[in-house]
Amino acid sequence: MMGLGGVLMDIFSPLMEFIAPVMPGEVFPFFFTMELFQRALLAAIMVTIVAGFLGTFLLIRNLALIGDGLAHVSFGGVAVGIVLGATSPLWYALIFSISAAILIHEMQSREILTGDASIAIFLTGMLALGLVTLRIWGGGITSDIHGYLFGNLLLIDESDLDMISFICVVSLILLTLIRSGLLATTVDPLSARVQGLPVRGIGLLFSVITAAVVVSMVQVVGTLLVTALLVTPAATAQLVGRSFRSCLVWTQVFGLSSVLLGLYFSAEYSSGSGSMIALIAAIIFASVAIIQIIIRNFIRPKENYSNN
Amino acid sequence: MQSVAVEEIQQELPILNVENLSVIRSGKIVLKDINLTVHKGEFVGLVGPNGSGKSTLLLAILGVLKAQKGKIDIYGNRPLSRKLYGRIGWVSQAAANLPREVRITVRELVKLGTLNANNMFSWSDNGRSQRVDQAIKMVGLEDVENIDISRLSGGQRQRAVIARALATEAEFILLDEPLVGMDRNARNSLLKLLDQLCHDSGKTILMVSHDLTAIRQTAHRMVFLEEEIRFDGPTETFPDLDELAGLRGIEPVHGEAHSHQHDHSKED
Repeated sequence: MMGLGGVLMDIFSPLMEFIAPVMPGEVFPFFFTMELFQRALLAAIMVTIVAGFLGTFLLIRNLALIGDGLAHVSFGGVAVGIVLGATSPLWYALIFSISAAILIHEMQSREILTGDASIAIFLTGMLALGLVTLRIWGGGITSDIHGYLFGNLLLIDESDLDMISFICVVSLILLTLIRSGLLATTVDPLSARVQGLPVRGIGLLFSVITAAVVVSMVQVVGTLLVTALLVTPAATAQLVGRSFRSCLVWTQVFGLSSVLLGLYFSAEYSSGSGSMIALIAAIIFASVAIIQIIIRNFIRPKENYSNN
Repeated sequence: MQSVAVEEIQQELPILNVENLSVIRSGKIVLKDINLTVHKGEFVGLVGPNGSGKSTLLLAILGVLKAQKGKIDIYGNRPLSRKLYGRIGWVSQAAANLPREVRITVRELVKLGTLNANNMFSWSDNGRSQRVDQAIKMVGLEDVENIDISRLSGGQRQRAVIARALATEAEFILLDEPLVGMDRNARNSLLKLLDQLCHDSGKTILMVSHDLTAIRQTAHRMVFLEEEIRFDGPTETFPDLDELAGLRGIEPVHGEAHSHQHDHSKED
């Protein structure tokens, strides 16, 4: 697993340097020429692609907020990791996040707690654990911690990129493999079970993938803003998509534009990258929704294919 | 003519055999000593008042709900057995109201029916598109196959869900209240479709409905359920409203209540 980030950098950094001259702005082109920035860009793009794919399913499974919950759990993990002196606290985040995802999934499928309640309990409990741990044994909210809360792309070092790449590549492969089965179990779980699809197994695998992807996003957009890349592009896609396949494509279009525009504006106006990405994603959603309403009400009356 | 057909049918081994089935849910008897046999090619209408255990019986047959007592055999197997995968089609009421947030075309939905544990990860087509084409054609949705189902009428959506069940190549199709929320035309054309599936394609159908008038037009056989089976026989001999009231004191679907025996009927 180690070195995957390095391999990807070897492949993509010449490409980035190649297109760098046409990139606008004064600071933004650094994302294509300087290694530190290149790493950041690569991580942001990978995370966006996987998050969008995942988000489409989260949305129709009515789990839009699980990303938020797991991100807060990850923060608890990061805090514990830092206090224990870990060089890469994201590993702790990964363990925390996956355990929480499995527990939430089990609680939901055994109907012990409804979806939202179990997410809320984990979210607040683990966030509180993180804060208490930091206050008592750590140095409080340092700038490192700040980076995990709001994202700090430029803190991504080589080993972080290795981990992010590994999570993204494996998740993408797994999601592609279970794509149809996942859709079938999402749309109509009972029919899927009668057909012989492993509904439970698919659900559990999906939870674990979600947990891992959320951890990979923590440094890019920050714990507090994970949902912006996980759900917003997918939700925007639902507005324009006319089929499941087209929704997947639109999600990527909206996700990648949010990231690139977000990075551009944050670089040029030196604002936080995570918050700028989240803001752009929300602006794109709002614009598409408004354009849709205008088209639907004023330009084209509602199409109707019903004939019986 | 129908009774001759029924006699022919009954010489084969039954597709479904339910013996002494009892289901208790949260301390309450929902089904009591149910005995039910369904043969190939039959169209059985399962009727009964709300809360009479119709859906529970279907769920028990599918195997997703455990029965406390009794035995269920489908094609000689236990429910949910590996050998049944793809042979049973399920058309739920919930499926007609598929989540509105899902953007999914008729074709994409029907294609989900061709999935099973073995081909789930496979990229190859293996005749799956052909099965999808066929299923869409059978329900007559060719014109709208690439349209997002949320833009279709209730009747068309229900057809799409039936096509999904047909794409599994199911021989035995269970339907839970498929007529809910449809106007008369949509209802009639759906019943006609089910009748064709039964007669022309040799499917066996077990359909739950509370719409007595509609189901009596199509089903060969009626089963009246209210905790236990109160009537089971050819549709022609299904009791009229007065006799039905005599059987249990039901409030008929249309018209006034004949409620002189209401004291021993249970509403829940």
